[in-house]
Amino acid sequence: MRLPDQVTGLFLVGLGAAAAYGGWLLPPVPGQPVGPNIFPLVIGSGLALCGLAIALGIGRTFEEEEEIIPLEAGQAGPPTGKLYGLRALLPPALLLFYVAVADRLGFIITAALIVFVTSSALGARWKLSLPLAVMAPIVIHLIFSKLLRVPLPAGLLPMPW
Amino acid sequence: MLNTLIQAFALISTWEVIIAMLAASVYGLVIGSLPGLSATMATALLVPVTFYLSPIAAIATIVAASTMAIFSGDIPGALLRIPGTPASAAYADEAYAMTRKGEAELALGAGVWFSAVGGIAGTLSLMILAPPLAEIALSFSTFEYFWLAFLGLMCATLVARSSPVKAIASMFIGLLVACVGIENPGGVPRFTFGMTNLFGGIEPIPALVGVFAVAQVMRAMLTPEPPPIPKRKFGSIMAGQWRLTKKYRWQMTRGNIIGIIIGVLPGAGADMAAWVSYAMSKRFSKEPEKFGTGHVEGLVEAGASNNASIASGWVPSLLFGIPGDTIAAIAIGVLYMKGLNPGPTLFTEKASSMYAIYLMFIIANIIMIPLGIVMIRLASYVLRAPRSSVMPFIMLCCAVGSFAIGNNMFGVVTVAAFGIIGYVMEANGYPVAAMVLGIVMGTMIEQSFVTSLIKSDGSVLPFFERPISAILAAMAIGALIWPVLIWGWRRLKAASPAAAPR
Repeated sequence: MRLPDQVTGLFLVGLGAAAAYGGWLLPPVPGQPVGPNIFPLVIGSGLALCGLAIALGIGRTFEEEEEIIPLEAGQAGPPTGKLYGLRALLPPALLLFYVAVADRLGFIITAALIVFVTSSALGARWKLSLPLAVMAPIVIHLIFSKLLRVPLPAGLLPMPW
Repeated sequence: MLNTLIQAFALISTWEVIIAMLAASVYGLVIGSLPGLSATMATALLVPVTFYLSPIAAIATIVAASTMAIFSGDIPGALLRIPGTPASAAYADEAYAMTRKGEAELALGAGVWFSAVGGIAGTLSLMILAPPLAEIALSFSTFEYFWLAFLGLMCATLVARSSPVKAIASMFIGLLVACVGIENPGGVPRFTFGMTNLFGGIEPIPALVGVFAVAQVMRAMLTPEPPPIPKRKFGSIMAGQWRLTKKYRWQMTRGNIIGIIIGVLPGAGADMAAWVSYAMSKRFSKEPEKFGTGHVEGLVEAGASNNASIASGWVPSLLFGIPGDTIAAIAIGVLYMKGLNPGPTLFTEKASSMYAIYLMFIIANIIMIPLGIVMIRLASYVLRAPRSSVMPFIMLCCAVGSFAIGNNMFGVVTVAAFGIIGYVMEANGYPVAAMVLGIVMGTMIEQSFVTSLIKSDGSVLPFFERPISAILAAMAIGALIWPVLIWGWRRLKAASPAAAPR
């Protein structure tokens, strides 16, 4: 996900300009010189300036190149492929999945699915990930719902306690 | 004074506080020792739990977990050459070299012993520095608060081990996030895009959990599993530590002082303290050639330093609500939640609570020695836990914890979004710590800025008229200009006439 500095810089210019413009549009407080508009205006302009500087490559010399620990013998490097990078999006996707279905399916079932997918994606065999998917939601449910009284959705499979 | 001390003792000697502290210590030790799970993340995931505890117990968990996690990050650093927390990264190579020489006990013992000493030194600095600073702070007006907050943000960008321009940009992004909601001087919905969920603004805690926890799980998806730790039997861990203390007492004291100073500086935390102290130790050592080959001297100084910064990071947090580091940023959130709003009056009105915090820091650092030794002995078992069984728990804690903060599913969406933001920023060299400080301090800095502007009738001049405010302003502007000067100087030194500054 390493993007060229020009891309991130120009994105920040856009974001800053949008924030400044959005702040400028806000209604002022009657009878006062400043209101809710001044802060976004300042922040947005600052951000746009920084974005411009980044796009122009200012400050690059300060960045330290990432230290790569050399692989020891017998250790495989990470596999590379087009779709491999998309795996990083799995955790946020799973969280959104939780938001979408937790109320209907209930905490236990949703959490079991999340645990199973996460641990499988990290390379666990089903011998590990399946028991984990059964145990982890129950443990978390015990701690948060029973001990800390967080109202977790019961859904299809309510817990007996 | 004695009365308050007795009251403080009464506050912390309840079963709730004792159990909370012990549980949080074990939790901190385990999370800190697992590579990739940082001390900040341990603290952030703890916040939902603190909702349900009494104020003192809540703070006890934060104090204990963060103290333990910073130390236990040394364990995988020494055994695997993979730092458990970023704060241990500075000397992981050195500690691993010692392990290879067969001195694992000495390296780990130095970790636990000098961490405890450093933590206690940091606590003493908190006790000594905070009350007189509170006296001065009582006379601060919004102008001073504005410059102080601004200076804090600038420090955060200066110490980032990245391009200062990117760090400042990250800070602005954080401030922009803090703009969202109706909690602004005009009380109008700002940047809410008509979404009711955004009216209350973006809560700092889900943002923190996203940036530090979800982003870490995302990185884990792409990096290979760290190698399992070889089983080994440990000899006596504390043997020889007293000898080291006597031999390296100057290095230890210097580490403590550097750690305290860096901790007090807003935005700079334990990782920075360790890097600076390790470099310092090498620079002033009588035998610099031994560094990197398994020499304990740098370990002593950096270990004493990173734990000292944890306690002293609470000084600006308690006094001004300006976090000394990312862990303190979380602590501030908890303080507000528990009605211990940071500010100079805290030291007079809630003096017993303050003493309770000092005591808890000291106790945490003392029980770290026995608990740390147990942890080192158990490390070969804990570190064998594969990542694929730890990360799912982190995921569930992220989901449930962020839901619990407002009993609202929107918190979970926030966590997911900030996971992506944090991941992308980190991958492109934008320091997330600067953004986090921006989010935490945004409301405060806007309030002091706008109130000051209203008081001065829109004029900028009064920002520089009061003496303390003028000094703070000069420091803050200096911090802003410094990278520009360095950059220009480097450009000049490159000495090509075409590359003259535009």
